[in-house]
Amino acid sequence: MHKYITRRILQFIPMLFFITVIVFGLAKAAPGDVLSGEKLDPNIPHEVYEMRREALGLNDPIPVQYWNWLSSVATGDFGTSMQYSGRPVIDLINARIMNTIYLSLFALAVTLAVAIPIGIYSAQKKYSLFDYGATTFAFLGLATPNFFAGLIAIYIFAFTLGWFPAQGSTTTVGLTGIELFLDKLKHLVLPGFTLGLASTAAYMRYMRTEILEVKGSDFIRTAQAKGLSNQSVLYKHTLRNALIPIITLLGLEFGTLLSGAIITERVFNYPGIGTLFINAIQNRDYPVIMAINLILAVTILAGNLLADIFYAIVDPRIRYD
Amino acid sequence: MKLSKIWLMLILSMVLVLAACSGNNTNTTGNDNNNNNDNEVNDDNNNEENNNEDPSGPQSGGRITAGMYSAPGHQFNPIFYSDTYEANILSFTHDTLLKLNEEFLYEPHMAKDYEVNEDNTAITYYLHENLKWQDGEPLTANDVYFTYASLADPDYVAAGGVRTDYVRFLKGYEEFNTGATDVFEGVEVVNDYEVTFHFAEPNITPEFRTNFIIIPAHIFEGVAVKDMVDHPASRDGGEVIGSGPFKLDSFIEGEQYILSRFEDYWAGAPYLEGITWRVIDQSIMPGMLENGDLDMIAEPGGVPSADYERVDGLDNITTFLTQAFAYQYMGIKHHHRTTEDVEAGAINPDNWVVNEKVQDKRVRQAMMYAINRQAIVDGLLNGLGSVLHAPFPEASWAYDENSFSIYDYNPEKAKELLDEAGYKDTNDDGFREDPAGNEWVLNLDYPTGNQVRERSAPIIVDELAAVGIKVEMRSPRDAGTHFDIVEKDNTDWDLYLAGWSLATGDPDPAGIWKVDSGFNYIRWIDEHSDELIEKAVTAPDAFDIDFRAEVYNEWTAYVTEEVPMIFLYSQDNIYAYNSALQNVKEMPTGIYQDPHLWWLQQ
Repeated sequence: MHKYITRRILQFIPMLFFITVIVFGLAKAAPGDVLSGEKLDPNIPHEVYEMRREALGLNDPIPVQYWNWLSSVATGDFGTSMQYSGRPVIDLINARIMNTIYLSLFALAVTLAVAIPIGIYSAQKKYSLFDYGATTFAFLGLATPNFFAGLIAIYIFAFTLGWFPAQGSTTTVGLTGIELFLDKLKHLVLPGFTLGLASTAAYMRYMRTEILEVKGSDFIRTAQAKGLSNQSVLYKHTLRNALIPIITLLGLEFGTLLSGAIITERVFNYPGIGTLFINAIQNRDYPVIMAINLILAVTILAGNLLADIFYAIVDPRIRYD
Repeated sequence: MKLSKIWLMLILSMVLVLAACSGNNTNTTGNDNNNNNDNEVNDDNNNEENNNEDPSGPQSGGRITAGMYSAPGHQFNPIFYSDTYEANILSFTHDTLLKLNEEFLYEPHMAKDYEVNEDNTAITYYLHENLKWQDGEPLTANDVYFTYASLADPDYVAAGGVRTDYVRFLKGYEEFNTGATDVFEGVEVVNDYEVTFHFAEPNITPEFRTNFIIIPAHIFEGVAVKDMVDHPASRDGGEVIGSGPFKLDSFIEGEQYILSRFEDYWAGAPYLEGITWRVIDQSIMPGMLENGDLDMIAEPGGVPSADYERVDGLDNITTFLTQAFAYQYMGIKHHHRTTEDVEAGAINPDNWVVNEKVQDKRVRQAMMYAINRQAIVDGLLNGLGSVLHAPFPEASWAYDENSFSIYDYNPEKAKELLDEAGYKDTNDDGFREDPAGNEWVLNLDYPTGNQVRERSAPIIVDELAAVGIKVEMRSPRDAGTHFDIVEKDNTDWDLYLAGWSLATGDPDPAGIWKVDSGFNYIRWIDEHSDELIEKAVTAPDAFDIDFRAEVYNEWTAYVTEEVPMIFLYSQDNIYAYNSALQNVKEMPTGIYQDPHLWWLQQ
């Protein structure tokens, strides 16, 4: 097991290297840089922008630029943003990453809390009215664009009912302790549910299918033959086995935990990594693009590894060596 | 429907009566008259409440919430800020020596008076003696020197600064910028309240060149310019010190920027307790205005024209429209740079390769006649904009509608001009061939992002086709890519859509229009235009603003005759604010002037 994990982690290194080469190459292949576009002020002489370009190293050959980036990252320095007037990239990420994690976890909790019970119940009452209703609801969630669902939620719960705030992640500065916690939680409700409900469909269907499949297997029949109660069969035998594929999904989900949800963040102006990322791409802010990419790559790889390890733990049939 | 019409009539007649009463006032502004009247009509009944003088006078207290659609980049040092969202905050926290009035002329502000010497080589400012920084330190001539010395610093551009235009015309800039000397000769501190700027050459626009935001010397003294960028006083709430009426107290990054009043502001303590800037999503802005979560929406962007009707219909909201300092145009690539020049970043008109397809000016004039620009304004901007005739703000002294010819939509005229130029349809395919009988196709490229602009592209193509000009509309590109190609002169480009901002500080069009300017994206070569642009800023004639205005009229007349680019339209800026907010100065430059006088009716 240890050997397996070490080997997997060592494999990360060349993988990350290739990922950064590809991302850097692709980002650079797109024409334009942080100093091209409409926001240039014609009242500032063109030459000044040329000087800025030179100072930012944008005129260097691409391999040189890549090498400069790589060597500073190797020393733990992600560089400074080109768009945000020289602000360290790590500052920009630090200011947003916790928001993104809170939102992702909240949304994930919503997804699981809704999907698993409904999935189980649907499987129990296969082809019932409830089953069809749940499926319809789930696919409706999947099919509704997040911005639309978000706007509807804002209209109903923020504007009309006034229950939850429409925008942002906190009400004001200076909150501490339990007050801050509750305030943050309140701000999480609308974006969290918007994001969370949208992905319930996948989990629900998985849960339902898995339970139906496990229910048909021999060991369940054995358990029933032994005279165990329905409850006991469901929770002790069926559910345990049915949850295994969910773990795979969760492992993959772990990677997207940090990527943020661009559209939901926009609609609720919830400052997170997603908005930072899309802004950086639009403005060709390479240091920020690369830093976020690297973080995402690491978490996705780590998520996959974790899923594999958990697999081995929960499913004794799987052995790594 | 009927009721609102009656209202409109009533207000219209009232406005007319008012306008007649104050006839003198409005007539002096000349052609921008029409615009003003329109605005007041649009303002619905809230404006009347505003005009009622409150006998109790201004009340102190209250905090307003203002919105913007994107977060500032967190550079609150004026010499380094780069985006309009930062500018939004800085216009409340920092102050300048002069301010612009309605006619785009300078007036004393932090300086109680100023004088320009006879040959325009020096400008002397006399500062108010009660100027204070927000930490209580006095603001003196030394701060002015320090600001300009920082702009002229050898490390300034490398550190991220772009505002060298405020120092490069000053005496001793080269010496100071190369590090040859430690003292910047261009700014002379006479005493604490008197400071003189010396120019290397007689300067036509001394006020404009010396009206940069002042930064505090006592905070940044001893900090190297390259370290100022990341200094806490450039980044953090509570640490940023300006001399404006409001202080940036604290913020939640990307969400809220909390400004509170500076009691010792030199022009008097602000009435408002503070202003909270919130970053909000544009789609829910009208709802927030309606339910009172938001009191003001101004720059940049303001109210989108699609939301105007809804916002204007809100009882608690006052709206104000003014021409935006930006315009949209269809560029014509008269020449292309060579690949070698592009790679070397050289702007050398002698090497440029001529684009034969667009050389006949009658063709360009025909395009101007063929495009129904008013219909674009009416249809795509809901009428909230104006057709652009000349590249100056309509309220500017450099703009005179009587000095140039105006192209109205006239497809017949366009066809005539094309016939005359020899572009005729010789093979009956419905499109004209060039005078030599070869196929004549112009390419049109345009960027995504700006919805109105995107939607205008196919309309333009159709209208040009209607007069027989075959235009091939390419797939739109992402804005960054589009503008990179605009700059790099892809050789198969003929027409492209883009926008420029209009100068407010000074109308000198050199930045975009001089042949050798990097921003001459249309790569137009014309000596006469260059001569006129030069003439308008050549001493000593140009010391006289009327002389400059005359030259600019001549230049505009020439440019509208030559049609180097197709001017399209200029969108209106739409500002909206809570009707309880009093004393907001509605200026062509916006509503941010003198916010210390704003007060809330409670």
